[in-house]
Amino acid sequence: MMDKALIKVGIVSCSGEELPEGTLSRLACRKVLDELKPGTTVTICLPLFIAGGEEERNFTAKFPTITVDGCKKRCAQRSTEALSGKPAKSIVITEIMHEKQITPPVRRRNLTEQDKIVVQVVAEELAKAVDDVLEGGE
Amino acid sequence: MKKPTGKVVVIPCSGIGKVYGALARETAYELAERVRPDTILLTCLPLVVVGDEQAKQLVTENPVITIDGCPMKCAHKSVESHGIEVAQSYQSISFYVAHKDLKPEGVTELDETGRKLAAVAADELAAVVDSLAGKEPK
Amino acid sequence: MSEFLETTHDKFVFRVKTGLYYSRDDFWVEIQGDQAVMGVSDFLQKVRGDVAFLETMPMATEIRPGEEAGTIETIKATYGIIAPVTGKIIEINPEMESSPYLINQDPYGTGWIYRIQLHDRVRDQAELLNAESYMALMQEKIVQEMGNK
Ligand code: SF4
Repeated sequence: MMDKALIKVGIVSCSGEELPEGTLSRLACRKVLDELKPGTTVTICLPLFIAGGEEERNFTAKFPTITVDGCKKRCAQRSTEALSGKPAKSIVITEIMHEKQITPPVRRRNLTEQDKIVVQVVAEELAKAVDDVLEGGE
Repeated sequence: MKKPTGKVVVIPCSGIGKVYGALARETAYELAERVRPDTILLTCLPLVVVGDEQAKQLVTENPVITIDGCPMKCAHKSVESHGIEVAQSYQSISFYVAHKDLKPEGVTELDETGRKLAAVAADELAAVVDSLAGKEPK
Repeated sequence: MSEFLETTHDKFVFRVKTGLYYSRDDFWVEIQGDQAVMGVSDFLQKVRGDVAFLETMPMATEIRPGEEAGTIETIKATYGIIAPVTGKIIEINPEMESSPYLINQDPYGTGWIYRIQLHDRVRDQAELLNAESYMALMQEKIVQEMGNK
């Protein structure tokens, strides 16, 4: 089991611009980073990570990551795998929507109140994944 | 320089750690959904970076505008490093510098003022979009 | 000895350049004979964020330690350029007008702000911290500023 005090988890959101799920991924990740798990998670900004950001690269070389992708193209997961190795967990929003039989948002911005409930659902899934990683589970 | 195709691809960085990343993203949505919906094509930056065939084709065939948040220029650098020519490159921090009265706030979701700034910036970019698309300015 | 001392908090790396002096207000000073070049420490630029606007004092302004010698504005905060030494401004980084973001990109290099003609080098130098002492102070500040973020 990993030492809880020593580890933090990097959260990598795809933030894809084209699909509402990209926005959803972004908002859910931020919720976890700022509200649900602020002390144990660290933002890994995907564009900065890809563009060679030293801090994102150093962090992901040392600590586990969770990737959150909007769709099955899994851009965040694939980029992370290429840059720092396999993420500890990979979440795909469309899969969560399917599993939980939730209708995904149709807007890419200015999400509705209903959409925000979906953000909360995804954020809670992600928070659970963070706990799993911190506890050394898979 | 690419020949005008009537379409222009906009790629924002969508950085998740700074307000400017959100501003870049919102400006792209303003362009795509309100200012030049017939001209603008949006694609996900990470999708281009992971080498998705369709995304690659889109950015190879049409002129590309990148909108980054800050001088780190993550979108610009990533797109160029994949051998794709960037026709115009912007940094949303300079939209704020040009309109100091519109101070954006909110890292994932912009506040009202931030959205206004994105709208103003998108209006200002319209002429460049028209020219890259080979269209008469509206 | 390496050019920088550094410490990491979460993903953030904070650097202190060796061979420079530092004020407790987080400005660095490079003493060059009876002149000094000054700028913002890596720590300060990182916690305050991307510089959008910079207001400098006019040439020949007399500055004194602890007094404000201009302002820096980011989306998060407006903060003063607090003079670390006593002297007269004899040069302002010409790049600052169009590219204040150099403060973020290269705080100890191209992001310098003023060159100062020193009036009392010995006394000023005695008040400033060397890189090792500033590193210790900065580490305390990192914990205060960033906590468990
Ligand atoms: S360009 Fe700036 S705002 Fe955008 S992802 Fe890079 S560091 Fe973040």
